Amino acid sequence: MTDGQTITCDALVVGGGIAGLQSALDLADQDFSVVIIEKDLSIGGKMIRLSKVFPTLDCSSCITTPKMASAAHHKNITIYTWCDLKELTSNKGSVRARVTQKPRYVDQDKCIGCRKCEYSCPVYVPDPEQGGFCATKAIRIPFSNAIPQTAALDPESCMLCGKCEKICPTGAVDYFQKPFDFTIEATTTILSTGFEMTTIEGKPQYGDGKVPNVVTALQMERLLAPHGPYNRVLRPSDGMEPDSIAFVQCAGSRDKSMGIPYCSRFCCMYAIKQAMLLSGALPLADIYIYYMDIRAFGKGYEQFYQTAKAMGIGFIKGKVGRIEEAENGSVAVRFEAQDGTGVTTENHDLVVLSLGVLPDWSPEGICSVSTAEDHFIQTVQPSIGPTLTSRQGIFVAGAASGPKDIVDSISEAGAAAMEASNYIIAQGK
Amino acid sequence: MTDPKKMKKNKEKSEKIGVYICYCGGNISDHVDVEKVREAAEKFPGVAVARTNSFMCSDPGQELIIEDLKNGVVDRVVVASCAPSLHENTFRSAITRAGANPYIYDHANIREQVSWVLHGDKATYKAEKLVAAATGKAGLLEPLDPIRVNARKHATVIGGGIAGLKAARVLADRGLEVVLIEKTPFLGGNAAGLDTVAPLGEQCSALIAELAKGVLEHTAITVLTRSEVVGFNGYVGNYNLQVKTTLSSSSAFDKAAGHVVPFEGDNADTPTEQNVKTGAVVLATGFRSYQPKTGEYGFDDHREVLTLPEFIKQLSEVNCSGDILELNGRKIRAMAVIHCVGSRQIPGIHEEDENGYLNEYCSRTCCSSILHAANTVKEQFPKTNIYDLYRDIRTYGRGQEELYDRAARNRVVFLRFEAGNSPTVSANDDGSDYALKVTIEDGLTFSEEIEVPVDLVVLATGMEAGDVSDLVSMMKLPVGTDKFLQEVHPKLAPVEMSVSGIFLAGTAQAPMNISEACNGAAAAAVKTASLLSKGYLELDPYVAAVDQDLCRGTGACVDACLADGALEMIDAETENGTEKKARVVPALCLGCGACVAVCPTGAIDLKGWSLKQYEAMVDMIVADELIDI
Amino acid sequence: MSDKNKKKNKNKAEQERKEDMKRLREERKSSIQRAATMVKTQRKDLKVLMKQMGSESATAPELAQATGMDVAQVIWYLATLKQYGEVVEGAKNGSYFTYKLVVKEPEEAVA
Repeated sequence: MTDGQTITCDALVVGGGIAGLQSALDLADQDFSVVIIEKDLSIGGKMIRLSKVFPTLDCSSCITTPKMASAAHHKNITIYTWCDLKELTSNKGSVRARVTQKPRYVDQDKCIGCRKCEYSCPVYVPDPEQGGFCATKAIRIPFSNAIPQTAALDPESCMLCGKCEKICPTGAVDYFQKPFDFTIEATTTILSTGFEMTTIEGKPQYGDGKVPNVVTALQMERLLAPHGPYNRVLRPSDGMEPDSIAFVQCAGSRDKSMGIPYCSRFCCMYAIKQAMLLSGALPLADIYIYYMDIRAFGKGYEQFYQTAKAMGIGFIKGKVGRIEEAENGSVAVRFEAQDGTGVTTENHDLVVLSLGVLPDWSPEGICSVSTAEDHFIQTVQPSIGPTLTSRQGIFVAGAASGPKDIVDSISEAGAAAMEASNYIIAQGK
Repeated sequence: MTDPKKMKKNKEKSEKIGVYICYCGGNISDHVDVEKVREAAEKFPGVAVARTNSFMCSDPGQELIIEDLKNGVVDRVVVASCAPSLHENTFRSAITRAGANPYIYDHANIREQVSWVLHGDKATYKAEKLVAAATGKAGLLEPLDPIRVNARKHATVIGGGIAGLKAARVLADRGLEVVLIEKTPFLGGNAAGLDTVAPLGEQCSALIAELAKGVLEHTAITVLTRSEVVGFNGYVGNYNLQVKTTLSSSSAFDKAAGHVVPFEGDNADTPTEQNVKTGAVVLATGFRSYQPKTGEYGFDDHREVLTLPEFIKQLSEVNCSGDILELNGRKIRAMAVIHCVGSRQIPGIHEEDENGYLNEYCSRTCCSSILHAANTVKEQFPKTNIYDLYRDIRTYGRGQEELYDRAARNRVVFLRFEAGNSPTVSANDDGSDYALKVTIEDGLTFSEEIEVPVDLVVLATGMEAGDVSDLVSMMKLPVGTDKFLQEVHPKLAPVEMSVSGIFLAGTAQAPMNISEACNGAAAAAVKTASLLSKGYLELDPYVAAVDQDLCRGTGACVDACLADGALEMIDAETENGTEKKARVVPALCLGCGACVAVCPTGAIDLKGWSLKQYEAMVDMIVADELIDI
Repeated sequence: MSDKNKKKNKNKAEQERKEDMKRLREERKSSIQRAATMVKTQRKDLKVLMKQMGSESATAPELAQATGMDVAQVIWYLATLKQYGEVVEGAKNGSYFTYKLVVKEPEEAVA
């Protein structure tokens, strides 16, 4: 491919998370040609970073990696990672995307994924793929089952010492790599741009991120994951195996003053799942979930919740008002108990916040699809055409149109692929 | 343990078996000593290499297999990982990418059958045995070709509710011929009984009208109302449905039973039966509304206790002014709504039905639905007091939390109860003219007991699986413990059923709202389109094959055959003249092996699962024990 | 092309590359400096930590106390060294796991 080149395809999928992958596969299996663009270094989205998934407790990798691999090897799918979507316009049965692929400083065609560069690199940087709990290197394969298995260099942490370039067996390291612009012309587009989480910073009630051993749910996923930072659950402040762990639900959701007024939809279930996994990993630990309502609404979810209760996980109804540092690395959780004891403080070794869910991408300035008041992409026929956006030929799937769990995202991704297929056919292509 | 390498070698067996054992990121390796299994596997006869990976299904894992095949290190592949239902296809396609035949592969399930049920040495021991058996079989595997059959570009949708209408329309737009079969004379299903729907307050009849219009006007869709499937046979891509259409006058469906009638199909006025030849079936058979037992929260005992669908219907017919709701001439000064009626039932707490059954699931839609109804009442009749008795408010979806907020602003009073401490509904005896009183220990005010006199109680009744027992037995469909139809896997194959070519749409699968049912329907449609749009299908070649030289034409196999038409007797020309011989129709063969067991001459065997392969598996399982004797 | 010319071109290319690298270094001056400072601290910390570990197993708080380093920093380094195969986890001591250096043949040691 050359700079400035134009690629044509039937469908462009924006975002290579689980929804985007499913949409792409469902289109490609009908022999439509698909291009996926992904902003990250690897496809797989949030799901590939998770430990296990509710309500089946399948390991997340077991479900995600095969879909990633099928998409990567599908004859009708082409994937571009590490891309920025600069502009997306639609007009009479066609869409046009201007895309910039950011430099990895490693030639993707030459890199064989041997990780020699990573081992030789002298710079340790906090590993974002491990919740920052351990380090990776300035040049690295992003994570063990990333696709593509291509190294990338973070120029912000690089000393230009030249070690990686010297050791690379295929001469793939290229310190001078430049961003690369190209255009995609497609008949239709599916936006599957997913979600991100609100941050602890800016929530003084919860310690603004300054209280040790208060972690986010995504960090807890890493602590529980098979190739996590410690390969077990430890308290990050000192490596202690925690005896008491608490989950704080709606830490940012269902409360305008704390961030967002809407329900983030899947936090109840992942908190219950994490609690169950913890009670398996640490059978002697006390585990509590502070909640307002337990929203276990999907197929098999309520049964999952009842199983967690039967396992001895403590469910405490009450909104947590304050989280503060306590002695010896403990975390004090203050809440209003509803058993009549009033405001109560409990100390825990580790506290997990179920933060709010936000859209990961805003079309503002890039694409003229409308967003709703909640900033997620608006759907114009929410009941009978939940994947239709305000622009004809542009469809939406997954958490891009509001928080959604994996099961619902996959179902919606299939639906978006169906609408997109019919749109392609209606254009006579 | 005796070295199994010393076992007698079979020259026909592959000597280049590759064994690939998965850690499953701890799912397996936490209980099975994977490296020990690998060491053992290396010593099994015919094994060229044994490798491990933390996720064999990941790209780097698959790459191990591909490299070994390409380099000629292996020519048979055994993967020891999770259940083959999850990743058999993943590994087969990896083998295909390496340029090899996908059927030179066998699978050892060491997760579901080992690490999830056994621990410690036992787990490792069993994993070794399963891998041993798989290598035994793999040595005898031969390349096979899939069976290619024509697929009809035709789909049948069963059920004319929201999901069925949506599925039929998008399938027809995709270019397939569609037959939509609906049991009742009406289209719209359960939703036809609704008024405005949560969370946006859209008029449900308008939604149905739009969907139904798209279906009725589409030339590629044939709508058969008052029709039922009474016969089913064939195989994926080529199913035959026997469809019986009854007279509308003989219909047992009462138009007045809470259903509006937005559309009626254009069927002939005589009972007919026809054969529908189709490629795939989408099941959109819907749900039925939970009917409370007599006495459950006063239901049947007090006429002032209504189910949610009954209340919605009565509310939609209200024609009164003023600031207090009036139903059937009765002023409703205060009403209570009770959540989770017939849902979220807990063993030991709730009363089982006559079959010992509980609805343990959440019905997903009732919280939003009842809050929407409460808001409708409060916004029109602000002086009607509403008490909302709930366990958890589950307004999870877009626009739903707003309903909850709005209800609070509308001064709906929320009271919370625990599953084990349900509120009671009884006749009011406090001397006032309220008909009923509701008693609850309110968890929001330190479990204080509260008595509320009311004129009306509405039960937020949930969804139950529709009765599709006839289809279940006809099509051999799997049903979950919640009685809803069961998908293959909630994430890997969420609308697929274990019967190939049969898909799930909407509330036949689980409780869903309209939006979710439409997504489910379109997702089922896209799988149907992928399956049928090429016009042909490839089926696994695990079918019976007859050795014509050995066949003596006894016909025992035909008698034993479980699949109609899969085996037949033909006149074959041999050197002895015309002889009776058995012949297999591969597309119809189930690969069950019933014929193999009865053949007196061993002339019939299963491709990919031959007797010899079974023997080799058993030999390997007992190998060291036998030698030790 | 003669050998001499080839050599000349090669020299020229090398020269150009040197110039390019110089320019790049200049462009990234501040981030390079930041990274270099970070690496210096990391090397010092790791030296202290690994010396303290020696051939003994120790928990993170024990190592922190002995070295005067912040215990959170110690566990971060331990987790990292474990990821790169230089440290293994040992038995549990109270609520803390112990860690031990992996003894490596000199040629195997990671650069």
